[in-house]
Amino acid sequence: MWSILTNNWNALLSGLGYTLAASILALIGSLIIGTLFALMEISPFKALRIIGRIYVEVVRNIPLLVITLAFYVIVPRFIIKIDGFTAGTIGLLIYTSAFIAETVRAGIEAVPSGQMEGARSIGMSYTQAMRQIIFPQAFKIVIPPLGNQFINLVKNSSVLAFVAGFDLMYQGKLIAATTFSTFDTYLIVGVLYLILTMPLSYLMRYLEKKWVTA
Amino acid sequence: MSMIEFHDVNKYFGKFQALKNINLTVDRGEVVTIIGPSGSGKSTLLRCINGLERITSGQLIVNDFDLADKKTDMNRIRKNVGMVFQHFNLYANKNVLQNVTLGPDLVLKRDKAEVEQEARDLLKMVGLESKADSFPGELSGGQQQRVAIARSLAMKPKAILFDEPTSALDPEMIGDVLDVMQKIAENGMTMVVVTHEMGFARHVGNRIVFMDDGKILVDSSNVNQFFDDPQEPRAKEFISKIINH
Repeated sequence: MWSILTNNWNALLSGLGYTLAASILALIGSLIIGTLFALMEISPFKALRIIGRIYVEVVRNIPLLVITLAFYVIVPRFIIKIDGFTAGTIGLLIYTSAFIAETVRAGIEAVPSGQMEGARSIGMSYTQAMRQIIFPQAFKIVIPPLGNQFINLVKNSSVLAFVAGFDLMYQGKLIAATTFSTFDTYLIVGVLYLILTMPLSYLMRYLEKKWVTA
Repeated sequence: MSMIEFHDVNKYFGKFQALKNINLTVDRGEVVTIIGPSGSGKSTLLRCINGLERITSGQLIVNDFDLADKKTDMNRIRKNVGMVFQHFNLYANKNVLQNVTLGPDLVLKRDKAEVEQEARDLLKMVGLESKADSFPGELSGGQQQRVAIARSLAMKPKAILFDEPTSALDPEMIGDVLDVMQKIAENGMTMVVVTHEMGFARHVGNRIVFMDDGKILVDSSNVNQFFDDPQEPRAKEFISKIINH
């Protein structure tokens, strides 16, 4: 097992780098897009609510692999040429954004309705009330479930392996195929994923302690 | 000079009619108390005045603005008409001082130092100057309600609406809140108060309105007579119930 690690160190490290890059890009992107769709879902305008609802329901009910393959196969053929890494990261971003939208929506709705009324009653606009009163309270509620989504995202980034995304799982597959040491290779890959996700887990726990109990 | 005018106002929630042909005028400086059984439309009537609910038909004029007109800026109405809620609705993520200063800071965009000084004076007036740095969750119900009143006053409104301000409080907390409300009334504030506090209605109120089933059944300036010898049969039944329980 040690020889697999030393002989393929560069490939594994590069895979780890791609996984990390895809995860960070998808995390930031899905947080932004997910929050936007959450805002649409709770918007006072019915048209926006319907668009938000359709997006969330369609995206979260299609397997991640199918969404990713759509970007890998269909988009390059008809729209613009993109590589496996880009297609995989976009697929991951879109897929995760639907779950983040639901998490953020639930967090905002968990803030008692009296908070919005209290804010509106002194003449604050909807946007001011959201920014000053609702978001700060929803943020605290949302941290623990958001942590779950982020950890899932890092693990789901292994979908890149199916579209030649050069990630950790992709390198693992190659190494296993050339060395025939399937068990040892995937054990190493598993440990490397843990090295990525465990600190994230602890970070979320730390934020939870710091902000949620405050 | 009238502050609030309802002309033939109706309000529906879906098929349910919450307000039926309401006609009511509140003059500046008047303290009007509204009583009636639950579900009679008292809170809805109050919430219409600052646009938390929109009326379905009729005309509602508040501070010379027409609330039925879609062009009316509700935020401008709300700057001038304060509201105190049954469950206080203080901002849970802001401390007591910030709860009071946020409106003048953010909505009226006034000078911060001046606003803070006024807020501290208001907290003193409601007897809570020592709680400026506390968060709402650390206060008793009665204290929270007094902060909510200070928050409302900080906007220097032309009228304040009170929606059952003492209904969620322990009995011993009610007196402090009513004292503050009396002080405000004595300073000439226009007030519309939904309450079951008969003492307040008698001693502070200039007028009593009795509602049932979405309608105003009694609108009288003779508050004592209303309680001692109610003429309207439904009001008579209601008062005997709240006195003899």
